Amino acid sequence: MHIPDGFVNAPTAVATGAASLGAVSISLRRASRNLGERTVPLLGVTAAFIFAAQMLNFPIAAGTSGHLLGAVLAAALIGPWSGVVVMAAVLTVQAVGMADGGITALGANIFNMAVVGGLGGYAVFRLLLSLFPRTTTGYFAAAAGAAWISVVAAAAAASFELAVSGTVPLGITLPAMVSVHMIIGLGEALITATVLAAVLASRPDLVATFPKGLLPGQRSASVAATSFGRGSRLLSFVVGALVVSVALAVLVSPFASSSPDGLERVAQEKGFADAAQAPVWRFSPLPDYQVPGISDPRFGTSLAGLLGVAALFAAVVLLGRAFGKWRPGAAPAATAPALHPLAGHEHTDHRHAGHSHRAHVHLTDDPNAPPDPDHEHADRTP
Amino acid sequence: MSGTHHFLTDERFGTSPIHRLDPRTKILGLVGLTVVSVSTPAGAVWAFALYAGILLFLLGLSRLPVRFVLRRVAAVLPFVVVVAVFLPFFDRAGGGGYNIGGVRVSGAGLLVLWNVTAKAALGVTATTLLAATTSFPELIAGLERLRTPRLFTLIISFMYRYTFLFVEEFRRMRRAMEARNFQGRWLWQAAIVGHMVSSLFLRSYQRGERVYLAMLSRGYDGSMRTAAPLALRRADTTFLAVLAAVLLAIRLTA
Repeated sequence: MHIPDGFVNAPTAVATGAASLGAVSISLRRASRNLGERTVPLLGVTAAFIFAAQMLNFPIAAGTSGHLLGAVLAAALIGPWSGVVVMAAVLTVQAVGMADGGITALGANIFNMAVVGGLGGYAVFRLLLSLFPRTTTGYFAAAAGAAWISVVAAAAAASFELAVSGTVPLGITLPAMVSVHMIIGLGEALITATVLAAVLASRPDLVATFPKGLLPGQRSASVAATSFGRGSRLLSFVVGALVVSVALAVLVSPFASSSPDGLERVAQEKGFADAAQAPVWRFSPLPDYQVPGISDPRFGTSLAGLLGVAALFAAVVLLGRAFGKWRPGAAPAATAPALHPLAGHEHTDHRHAGHSHRAHVHLTDDPNAPPDPDHEHADRTP
Repeated sequence: MSGTHHFLTDERFGTSPIHRLDPRTKILGLVGLTVVSVSTPAGAVWAFALYAGILLFLLGLSRLPVRFVLRRVAAVLPFVVVVAVFLPFFDRAGGGGYNIGGVRVSGAGLLVLWNVTAKAALGVTATTLLAATTSFPELIAGLERLRTPRLFTLIISFMYRYTFLFVEEFRRMRRAMEARNFQGRWLWQAAIVGHMVSSLFLRSYQRGERVYLAMLSRGYDGSMRTAAPLALRRADTTFLAVLAAVLLAIRLTA
């Protein structure tokens, strides 16, 4: 999703650059006000973590893989403002140090992934938190949903920029980018929720956005670990993702294709539309995203999207059963022996937080403290 | 993935007049070249040839290995291929089409393809030249002297230091995972990757806390002092003046 030089024209580069500059400087000020002299070490370390985590490829389907974006994860862990700063730092280093993403497109890339993905994703996260039940499951579902949307929204923003720049027509990029990232987003959602669950299980004080009311006391971490630990974890994820996908399919799809996509239009004008009359896959049950017998095209598209999402989920679940290896791994059950009252980063007096962390260093400094997640999986592979 | 993170190995090649330039000079000059080339209309093919000529000349001066630079440039090609390579075949606004082997190709689409390919390649080459001839601390110092907010550059320099450590940590975990026969193949296995990421986060964050406490106990108060102040020399001013004059001349004629 890193846009290279030359793909965004000057006006788009300047506009997105100005927006990013504003957002990052506001975030920088907010974050440093909240964190004081801890700003540099903690945000620096988190940025390095996101950078390393982005190197992780996760499987999408046999043969292809995506990688983590981490915008919502960072926002959920260290707060939205700090999250924007961290993402901007990662993207800047990638652009300047590694030529990953163009220098002149840096503003656009920060806008897509830190502002749209991070701040926008965080806003969605807040919204979902208020909609979902106030339980740990609700929290993880909200994080998963927000993570999924952040990836899709960042991809959509990138397509819009490419279209506005006159590089690629929207009708071509938007469907391609969004559909690919709708799948990549599932991995992002799953990883975000899993990471939050595991971090909550051992260091609940490190998740800045976790509602304090949800952690009444001593039992908190183990509750977080178990309620999301077995079975129900995947279930809650599936339910959350399903709700979000259905909402998107119903609400967004009618607007996604109010005109025929670029390819179809070209086909009509270039006169090879006839060839398109005989599709390769001729038994499509929902031709042109319309449901036979529904007259209103908008409604028809919504319904087709809905059915598509339902079919996709059914297919994924069935595939999972068929391959039999589907057993959600247990969350790392490293419940730290002593639990602090929540020390949310962006809210507490940092000196106090520093001391409580000092106390904790001894407890968790044991090299075996976070158990290798691999242990549980070694026995099940053929 | 390993090849894409060349700064992680701090791969800098030798010394040269380009290496010895002040980082500010290189940042201004090479970012300037990228900006100017991106703003040049795609039709002026000769201008792009000249930009490429300047870059090749600087690359020659810097004595960077050719294969290294080529590999970096090739790294952006996938994006170009995915996004733009089919445009010549579909762009309907195509004035003046061509027939290549019986396939109609639109002129406007070809122009867009040429535009993004040329500019992306120039941008990557310029950035590679900058990053491969400048150490990361120098780069940060240069950015800082060019008025990048100090808080931001400090965060980046911290990040740079720990990235090595965390990537190594990550590789160790991945090795452990592979040694136990994990083969990521399906989407739901992403949860296992999630556990890895959370271990990585906990380990790295706890390390950050330890380092922070160590810094506090050594009198850290939120500011950092750097040694070795930068100095602009004659070579720097000459380099910038000549480059600016040449770029302006090309851009204004194009």
